[in-house]
Amino acid sequence: MATHDVMPDIELFQPVTVEDASAIAERLGRTGWILAGGQDTYGWLKDRAKSPSAMIDLAAIENLQGISASGEGISIGAMTTLRDIIRDPLITERFPVLSQAAARVASPQIRNQGTIGGNVSQDARCWYYRRGLSCYRAGGNLCYADTPTSMNREHAIFGASRCVAVSPSDTATALVALDATMVIHTPGGEKRVSAEKFFVGPAVNITHMTVLRPGDILTSIEIPDTWAGVESYFEKVADRDVWDFALVSIAAVMKTKAGVIEDSRFVCGAVECVPHRLTEVERAVRGQPRNAQTGDLVAGYAGRGARTLAHNQFKVPLAENLVRRALRT
Amino acid sequence: MDIVRFREDVWGREVLLGISWELLWVVLALAFAAIIIHLLVMAVLRKQPRPSAEGRRITRHDVYDRLFHWTMAISVLVLLFTGVMPVLGIDFAWLTIHWVAGLVLTAVVLLHVVRAVFFQGISTMVVTPADLKEPFEKSVKPGKYSLAQKGMHHAMTALVLLVIVTGLLLFAVMDTPWWERSNALSEATLGWVFVLHGLSTLGLIGLTALHVYFALRPEKRFYTRSMLSGWISENEFAANHDPARWAPDEPV
Repeated sequence: MATHDVMPDIELFQPVTVEDASAIAERLGRTGWILAGGQDTYGWLKDRAKSPSAMIDLAAIENLQGISASGEGISIGAMTTLRDIIRDPLITERFPVLSQAAARVASPQIRNQGTIGGNVSQDARCWYYRRGLSCYRAGGNLCYADTPTSMNREHAIFGASRCVAVSPSDTATALVALDATMVIHTPGGEKRVSAEKFFVGPAVNITHMTVLRPGDILTSIEIPDTWAGVESYFEKVADRDVWDFALVSIAAVMKTKAGVIEDSRFVCGAVECVPHRLTEVERAVRGQPRNAQTGDLVAGYAGRGARTLAHNQFKVPLAENLVRRALRT
Repeated sequence: MDIVRFREDVWGREVLLGISWELLWVVLALAFAAIIIHLLVMAVLRKQPRPSAEGRRITRHDVYDRLFHWTMAISVLVLLFTGVMPVLGIDFAWLTIHWVAGLVLTAVVLLHVVRAVFFQGISTMVVTPADLKEPFEKSVKPGKYSLAQKGMHHAMTALVLLVIVTGLLLFAVMDTPWWERSNALSEATLGWVFVLHGLSTLGLIGLTALHVYFALRPEKRFYTRSMLSGWISENEFAANHDPARWAPDEPV
């Protein structure tokens, strides 16, 4: 068992520009670690499960912070704290689903320090993986969570492909619902990726949760006005009300006219390694009134195709109920 | 440079994971070097006039053998692509394509073994003392297959059988439409299976590179044509084969 009594040697870089940070990160490769709020980082370091030789602290890069409006939407710097997102009127008035999601992340202390960029980029929280076992996600040949006796009630019911970890980010669910765009600075230039494509499932890459690679830095998140001011719903179900990851969450945005849903986006969190779009629900509610009857009609679509593990069958009715709750007025 | 990859788990145990993919560059470098050396040697050697493709045609490969060869070739290339590209950082949903191609390869190999052993006879592939004289005596011509072709076939056979057996073991413990994944193989066993699967993959990459090179060689291209059309010309037959050791079927 690794000892915890001696702090390892870690070099600290504090660049003031994104270009410098990216260059350092590319040079260091896997031995470097991008540090935002640190709420994912320090757990890894304290358990000695990860041991980077250098940290690249983004806190001094001013243009990674803040929320601003553009003609077509808003832009949120990746280093903006979750607390600022909860309080900013640009978000609470136009995209309340995001402020509600941010308000359910962890605890007030963590939200004061944690950033939205870090929240969407955080690694899987499967305890077998986090504890340092040589599972698929860690580059090994096994999944410890997907066995009849494993502790897997928090794990995936969709899209498993050898790894059953789930996306742990609450804001990711809301950002996919809002059709956000992630702006990434790469060594080769700027890259823009839709939020939906930013998150990567194990079938595509089993060792990464996002498209970010060494040298890449998430600089901002842009939210278009497409879903600004529409009816929305966010709910997170967890064992504890504070400081816990979701068992299942839902973020829904709906354009309605005279109470009838014209268009919508429904996204479930904590049921798949990526935020899970409920496209069948979206198709089914189009042209339907937003009410409890519609919820009862379409809720069953939420669990279609689910493949449950030994201890997480409850997630299917839970997801279905969240769809009902999102649709009732 | 490592040959295999290990990882230390939280209890300090070393877990064998598989081969080191640095070996891929070694294999590619060796294959490239072999091709360059052969190219240079052939450039220096006096070129023999090539026999004409005109005239009577002799059947070399019937339609089932050609079908087998190309199905196997495509499935091997798909397997190599889907297996190696993710290692090189090209992300896509590769696993399903990989095992489907693997099942296709397994099926055609099984069919080929049955056909070759019970219907065709394997004598054309057995290496005989006469074959061993080929590289040293210009007057010795091969039967249907030269020593080099037999050697390539046997090497491919060994590697393909190894990759199929190890692949099927891995297939048996993963999620498929027919069964759910299991931990029936221990971590240590899985490590060895991945090592053998990886080594046979590297061998196949090297041999495939050489095979494609020789298939494109000007003096061997008529063999490639025969794998597409089924025939070689009477002149090509006379120039390259001993009629006493290979009596082809009726002409095309």
